[in-house]
Amino acid sequence: MRGRLSGLGGFVTYTMAVLILLFVLAPLVVVVALSFSEAAFAVFPPVGFTFSWYETVLNDPEFQHSFLVSTLLALAAALTAFALGMPAAYALDRWRVPGGGAIEAMLLSPLILPILITGLALLQFMSMMRMMEASVNLFIGHVLITLPYLIRTITASLKQVDRSLEEAALTLGASPFTVFWRVTVPQILPGIAAGCLFAFMISFDDFPISFWLADVETMPLPIYLHSLMERVFDPSVAATSSLMIVTGVLAVLALEKLVGLRKAMGV
Amino acid sequence: MMASGSSATLDAPVAARPIRLPRWSVGLFLLLPAVAFLVVFLVIPSLTLLSYSVLTQSAAGDVGLPFSVSGYGRLLLTPAYQRVTVLTLKIALLTSLFTALLAYPLAMVIAYGHSALSRLTMMLVVAPLVVSVVVRTYGWQLLLGSGPNGVVNWALGLFGLGQVSLQILYTEWAVVVASVHVFLPLMVLPIATSLSRISPSLNEAARMLGASAFRAFLRVTLPLSVPGLAVGLTIVFSLTAASYVTPQMLGGPRGLMLGILLEQQVTTVFDWPMGSAIATLMVVIALGAHIGVTWMLNRRRAAVPAAQGEA
Repeated sequence: MRGRLSGLGGFVTYTMAVLILLFVLAPLVVVVALSFSEAAFAVFPPVGFTFSWYETVLNDPEFQHSFLVSTLLALAAALTAFALGMPAAYALDRWRVPGGGAIEAMLLSPLILPILITGLALLQFMSMMRMMEASVNLFIGHVLITLPYLIRTITASLKQVDRSLEEAALTLGASPFTVFWRVTVPQILPGIAAGCLFAFMISFDDFPISFWLADVETMPLPIYLHSLMERVFDPSVAATSSLMIVTGVLAVLALEKLVGLRKAMGV
Repeated sequence: MMASGSSATLDAPVAARPIRLPRWSVGLFLLLPAVAFLVVFLVIPSLTLLSYSVLTQSAAGDVGLPFSVSGYGRLLLTPAYQRVTVLTLKIALLTSLFTALLAYPLAMVIAYGHSALSRLTMMLVVAPLVVSVVVRTYGWQLLLGSGPNGVVNWALGLFGLGQVSLQILYTEWAVVVASVHVFLPLMVLPIATSLSRISPSLNEAARMLGASAFRAFLRVTLPLSVPGLAVGLTIVFSLTAASYVTPQMLGGPRGLMLGILLEQQVTTVFDWPMGSAIATLMVVIALGAHIGVTWMLNRRRAAVPAAQGEA
């Protein structure tokens, strides 16, 4: 399968790919470049080189608070989605539950429904229930959008499990629970870790859910950043954005290390 | 896995056990928490929201009976709102077409490229996916800025092309360009998946029979990658049609899309039936794209026997 791009066709494909990757990287590179600018406004080209905007941002209590909110929210959402998604994915893989197809479609439906609408529906529902605690509403909303990703990755991992190993363990007298814990789990662990990490990033980066459910005291990082962009025009906005880019890059490197990106993304 | 029917006959002699649950009841039990969570926090809220589109709002702001479709009437019959719907569909269509064009070279390198280049491309494609859309759209704001402040115009000036200043920020084209960027990974991944499942011998056979590399791509590789392309087009189309951040930050009044109209109706006008009608239209567009493409793929699978091995 490898190295099938050769000759003139291969050259043309690689050249186009390089140009498109420049397009992919351009907006991120521009943001990072401006974050080091000494100028008072985020205007190209950057002037000089300074870390002072990072100092400003990292010492800003509002940023610290938003960063903490986003991190805790993403951790709580990813772990809860895992707790709900793991048994569901296992059930869909191992039992022929009546209506299983419809149940699976429902569990994955948050991927198809516009997230903006999911958020608005939840906001309206929560205000009908007189449930106005932003942190709880955000938590529920973020579980909603991370759950389908986890179910999908765990289902994909379960499909790759070597069932003959499980049967061998059962034949040798292991209890079903021991088989699950000692034979199945070790095989799907990298997939689970990758799924949780990806779910963490989905929550950490989310805008359209938090947009409806956040309030001034509980503002996740993307919402805080968006409000910053409308009132601050110095490179501190670029520095905040760059910190989010760094988080994303670290996540991708971790995914590549954990399971390999192609496997993590199901390619 | 044992069918529930056969277990019933096996159990027949064991009369002491009064209730014998079917085997799948364990599975149902494991599914219960996730299903209950989604029913309470997604299904019921969504149906409630969508139901508001056929109810009336009193002067005090309460929504209730009698039934009315006036929200839909205003949304679909007012020329200004018609333009928003048409523009939303146009931006979504253009974005998905351009994204597909840009996705193929990247997907080809990921699926067929030299191992190291394939991994590098994969990383560069996925990395933006885990960077918030707010950050990426901010990058496009900087790139597309009008006058000498925009990076693209600054670069044009550098090459002595200062007079061909680019003026697309706060138009629908800025939204298209940034949306292509935002959703490109979601097009590349399914196409790369389809491409890597095509047997290399098919392409070799075409080449051996005298087809040029380009013709072999056009007549063999491209048609066999249609399932991935269709998935990508659906995802990108429905996500673009439902986007909020990109048109809000780049579109201006000339790039007004349904998501922004929805936000205005709900948070500024407090018109829930109208907002709900917009929400319903957005859901219909998203579901329509998914159902339409699934139907077309199933028809194609039935019509083209050679395509059956793809999935």
